[in-house]
Amino acid sequence: MARSRLSQNPIQMVIIVALAGWLIPGCGYLLLKEISRALIIFVTIALIFGLGIYIGSIGVIDPVGANLWYVVQMMNSPLVAIIGHFTAGGGYPVFGRPNEIGQIYTSSAGLLNLLCIINSVYMAYRGKTTATEQ
Amino acid sequence: MYKLTAFMLANFTAPVDIGTNPQSLLLFIPVVAAIAIVYKATKLPRITAGRFLKESILLFGSIVAVMVIVALVLAAVAWLITE
Repeated sequence: MARSRLSQNPIQMVIIVALAGWLIPGCGYLLLKEISRALIIFVTIALIFGLGIYIGSIGVIDPVGANLWYVVQMMNSPLVAIIGHFTAGGGYPVFGRPNEIGQIYTSSAGLLNLLCIINSVYMAYRGKTTATEQ
Repeated sequence: MYKLTAFMLANFTAPVDIGTNPQSLLLFIPVVAAIAIVYKATKLPRITAGRFLKESILLFGSIVAVMVIVALVLAAVAWLITE
């Protein structure tokens, strides 16, 4: 019932799908009842992000020294800001290859999640327009 | 349980030691696999296990093959310049 009410307001649905997809990777698809797609995306993005901070430590999330990387890492989830809050003081220094690899992994995960958010928003919008045409 | 959780969290507070050896180049494989899987998950109109696996493996193989070709060309150019 909530979904049908939302589908009557495409802008509201699109915004909710986008925010859900940003909050938890793949959650936007879950709202669209695309469960297998949501699971694949959540597991893959969470794994690659987790592997990134395992290789480089949470120090790769650096809102002060690497703010451009941080913007891309924030595409994973707003929860990244919590890690950023702990690492902002420079308490977890990381240099060299582990830093590079960690930043590449976490930022790739962020960009992939951005792709998924855009795609889920498009699917939400297209679903509504198709229903209207029928 | 508390010790296990603390141990697991501690693993994320210190970086892993990665050398500058050729084997470290293999670290590109997980990222390429993730890109192939997520891209195909967004592009396939209907997800079925067989088709999804086939398409993801094909894309993964294509990216790896192109990267190997580019690496070989760059290595050849470097060899020509330095010899």
